[in-house]
Amino acid sequence: MIEFQGVSKWYGAVKVLKNISAEVEKGTTIVLCGPSGSGKSTLVRTVNRLQPIQEGTIKVGGTDIHARSTNVNTLRTGIGFVFQQFNLFPHLTVVDNVMLPLRRIRGQSRKEALPTALLMLERVGLADKANSLPADISGGQSQRVAIARSMILKPEVLILDEPTSALDPEMVGEVLRLLRQLSSEGITMMCVTHEMGFAREVSDRVWFLKGGELAFDARPDVFFSSDTHPDVRGFLSSIH
Amino acid sequence: MLEILREYGLMLLIGEYPHGKLGGLALTLIISVASLIVTFPCAVMIALARTGQSRIFKALAGGFVHSVRAIPLLMLIFWAYFALPLVIGFPIDATYTLIIAIVIYQAAYLGEIIAAGIEGLPKGQTEAAKALGLGYVPTTFRVILPQALFNVIPGIVNQLTTIIKETSLGSIIAVSELSYVMLQVNSNEVTKPLQIFGILAATYFILCFVLSQATGWLERRIAGKRTGRVVVEAVA
Repeated sequence: MIEFQGVSKWYGAVKVLKNISAEVEKGTTIVLCGPSGSGKSTLVRTVNRLQPIQEGTIKVGGTDIHARSTNVNTLRTGIGFVFQQFNLFPHLTVVDNVMLPLRRIRGQSRKEALPTALLMLERVGLADKANSLPADISGGQSQRVAIARSMILKPEVLILDEPTSALDPEMVGEVLRLLRQLSSEGITMMCVTHEMGFAREVSDRVWFLKGGELAFDARPDVFFSSDTHPDVRGFLSSIH
Repeated sequence: MLEILREYGLMLLIGEYPHGKLGGLALTLIISVASLIVTFPCAVMIALARTGQSRIFKALAGGFVHSVRAIPLLMLIFWAYFALPLVIGFPIDATYTLIIAIVIYQAAYLGEIIAAGIEGLPKGQTEAAKALGLGYVPTTFRVILPQALFNVIPGIVNQLTTIIKETSLGSIIAVSELSYVMLQVNSNEVTKPLQIFGILAATYFILCFVLSQATGWLERRIAGKRTGRVVVEAVA
């Protein structure tokens, strides 16, 4: 579903992604972890071209995302993206946030888009907050709205960049529960997270990045076993 | 002073109207508000060019802003008054001349204020809009501008105060706004300049003081809502 081939990226003179080649199979969940500055966020942000790359190719669903014929906005409608800071639009109500893509990309009227948006809010358990403003709901609820918004155009891929890192501990659970549900429904997911319990239970593969390199790519049973990569062992013991 | 007000009060408010053209305070307000209304879309375009991706538009808008800020408004008024009719081939009313000059001048300043409002938004807002697949137009008009314009409402009202004061320069090209009317009163009365210009100063002061208080009030109200609850139905 998503293929990275020799992907490298520089910020000025600093090489932040080093020749990354890997593949995410359709319907699988990948968890990316690694120390801060290892390139996890940068890597996931290259998939929908929020970050340009200088070398290599990235294919999503077989399409080279940097090809001339690829329309970046069309590409992005097929890839849901969830940010650490939610990035809800504060001037719009919850339901208006969720239906913005339906209205401004699919060209639906408010009346047409409303049932779809409400159904999506129901899926994330927030139908009762439809008319609230983002400032009036909790962080966990905001992140669930952001997930609903990213899923409204039924993307085949969902990318999450540290979706629980900005949340108070008691709110992490509700977001992870939702992600677990989405993962079981067969969406292709790439999730940057430090929630190792989530990685162990939900992921199909865990990618460990270090210094811009994909240092280790393994099934979770191997990743969390005693014969894992030595750097992973060090990393796991440092975050626990 | 009361005597002058009694005799010229109505003239101060509306000029020679209804026997002649509307003038005085009424014309000052009309010119100010009209200038702001025309300036606003120009300023939004300049702000979008200044903060956008296109290097050409960025350079053009930057050039415009820096040029305008480097010349006095009076110079612009002279240019609009003497040169514009030569360029377009027909004479235009001095009132319009003044409005044109103020619009050109204020577009640069208001454009910078709006640009600051756009740049002040968290980067995540644009990124989230992009990530949803929204193009430039919906990102700009549904996500960025409603928030940026709401945040700079105090700045816009503050610019209105500036514009009101700037209209007084219209007296030089015989636009019968407040200052011009009072200059005429002064030439009638000859011996009472202190009282006459005292009244003139007080009128500007009251008008601008009220507006600057309003700016302060808006500033406090909006400051609390900037990062959170933002109601912009009127703008969106």
